[in-house]
Amino acid sequence: MVRLYLANDTSSRAAGAGRLADAWCERAEIQLIRTSSRGAFFLEPMVERDTPNGREAWFNVAPDDLPRIVAGVGGTPVAEIPFVQQQTRFTFANFGITEPLAIDEYQTGGGLKGLAAAQGLSPEAIVGELRLSRLRGRGGAAFPVWKKWQVAQQTGSEHKYVVANADEGDAGTYCDRMIMEGDPFRLIEGMMICAKAIGATRGYIYCRYEYPAAAQTMRFAIQKAREADLLDCDDSPFDLEVVVGAGSYVCGEETALLESLEGRRGVVLAKPPYPAESGLYGRPTIVSNVLTFATIPNILAQGGAWHASLGTEGSCGTMALQLGGRVKQPGLVEVPFGLTLRDVLDRFGGGMAPGSRFKAVQVGGPLGSLFPESQLDIPICYDAFAKAGAILGHGGIVVYDDETNMVELARHFMAFTADESCGKCTPCRIGSVRGREILERIQRGQGTAEDLVLLSDLGETMKATSLCALGGRAPYPVLTAIEHFPNEFSSRRKV
Amino acid sequence: MTTRHRLGFAEMLETCRPAPPDKPNILKTLLAVQSSLGYVPTSDLPQIAQVLGVTVAQVAGVLSYYSDLRTQLPGRHLIRVCMGESCTANQGARVFRAIQDHVCVAVGDRVDAERFTVEQMSCAGNCAVSPTVIVDDEVHGRVEPSQVAALLERYK
Repeated sequence: MVRLYLANDTSSRAAGAGRLADAWCERAEIQLIRTSSRGAFFLEPMVERDTPNGREAWFNVAPDDLPRIVAGVGGTPVAEIPFVQQQTRFTFANFGITEPLAIDEYQTGGGLKGLAAAQGLSPEAIVGELRLSRLRGRGGAAFPVWKKWQVAQQTGSEHKYVVANADEGDAGTYCDRMIMEGDPFRLIEGMMICAKAIGATRGYIYCRYEYPAAAQTMRFAIQKAREADLLDCDDSPFDLEVVVGAGSYVCGEETALLESLEGRRGVVLAKPPYPAESGLYGRPTIVSNVLTFATIPNILAQGGAWHASLGTEGSCGTMALQLGGRVKQPGLVEVPFGLTLRDVLDRFGGGMAPGSRFKAVQVGGPLGSLFPESQLDIPICYDAFAKAGAILGHGGIVVYDDETNMVELARHFMAFTADESCGKCTPCRIGSVRGREILERIQRGQGTAEDLVLLSDLGETMKATSLCALGGRAPYPVLTAIEHFPNEFSSRRKV
Repeated sequence: MTTRHRLGFAEMLETCRPAPPDKPNILKTLLAVQSSLGYVPTSDLPQIAQVLGVTVAQVAGVLSYYSDLRTQLPGRHLIRVCMGESCTANQGARVFRAIQDHVCVAVGDRVDAERFTVEQMSCAGNCAVSPTVIVDDEVHGRVEPSQVAALLERYK
């Protein structure tokens, strides 16, 4: 019997992996192992099998391809797939290899070593290791992780909480979904290390409604971890629970997330107090992104200095970039910080999808700036992006081709903010609606020269005065669209 | 709403009653109601508020805030078309129009003998195989407008 590996992740299934599994379920000559995906989604559904020289893969497989796979004809060694081979995989090292819910495989691949290391350290020493690692939060704000942990650690309270922000709402991002579906014990391990460092008794994974498979996998993983007695923190049980949201983008903001976790409207609150001092039910709470937690086990296992040695001066470690849009090879790319945007698009993206021409790329989700061809040499790191007035966000990279209408796209961005604004602060609540109206006017050909001035003025006001990043960042994609493609806006002006 | 659907509703709601010192969780309760009935009937808000020990206005406020909570029973199959940036770049709007044409409906309306409800959704996190269409819980990737008819044929 031939053992074949096939990814069971949502995007692999959406690409046809489920169809293969259905078609082959009664074939006695094969044993089908459902793994996580390597993230080379342009090759999915991809089928792999073992050879003496490592795994071999068949790409974009159809049900009829089974005979040649079983015969071992036409496969490509995985080590020779440039998209995979050129990456530096640490957080995503297991992807495509292991079964997501097999704890033993997780352990064989080096899992739980970070937690074991943390158990031998004092809470202060764990925070010290994170300080040494220079890890910054991967959700978008890029705040030094150790600072948050130290505050929560030093704030006295009978109960403290660890919350994984799995409300991955930024369009163009999917690495949190991949982690939850593909390597769930890594998230649990990261959260356990945090619980140990701050003395937390309970943890929550706040998972967006759009990710039912991720929520389900996490529930199974928590159950398995509990059965294996892994969910103990300093000899007392650590309760971990998956909570599902209900479709609100702003719930990715930490104060709104905690409001939602308590069952209320997900409205942003003014800070301070910061959640690390007073968060869920008024108690010290660490809210960090899924990718941040998943990065932590390796840091404890290999040391903070190891992590600090990767990447650039101000952006240490690796970043999970998620390629999408009109790129030829969309998928997950884990590389150390410092590559240029052009490198990533060329080496991993493989250029444009057949028949399309590059127009612009958006980095950092629906609030991220647009970059034209002339600005692709920017290094991917927090500082260079901040200097350019852009954000790296959660690592989403969406490429637009020349069929994209920039006025329509700008309207789409502003309409998104108007839909998703929580309504707490005026600049965002009213500004986004007025911004959308101006762009609709331009789209109808009824805009005037003053409208662009007004839009720019409105944008600056929203940037300066909004309570959270939704209102504060919403003008960036719109204003960069106008900056780089002014003719598209002025040509629709009323004469 | 048929009585068949409502059987056990009161018992289900009772499990959401907070046991002190736990605090009431309105969102969790509304999601439980939706999962039980397929939607949250506004006529049930007083009962929900009573069980949770909160005001009807508080419940209504949470209900209206979250886009995935619905106050109408959807068709037998819920079609959600992703409007995220990657799907937008890959002409997801054309897929959406093809679906609308196929089922001949306006967004959010119940149609085709209660067979389909069509909605737009924000990013589904399936960006690497976009455009994305989700029917019920099944995610379809790389959907072309020309494939829409065959795709929907599978959902009766």
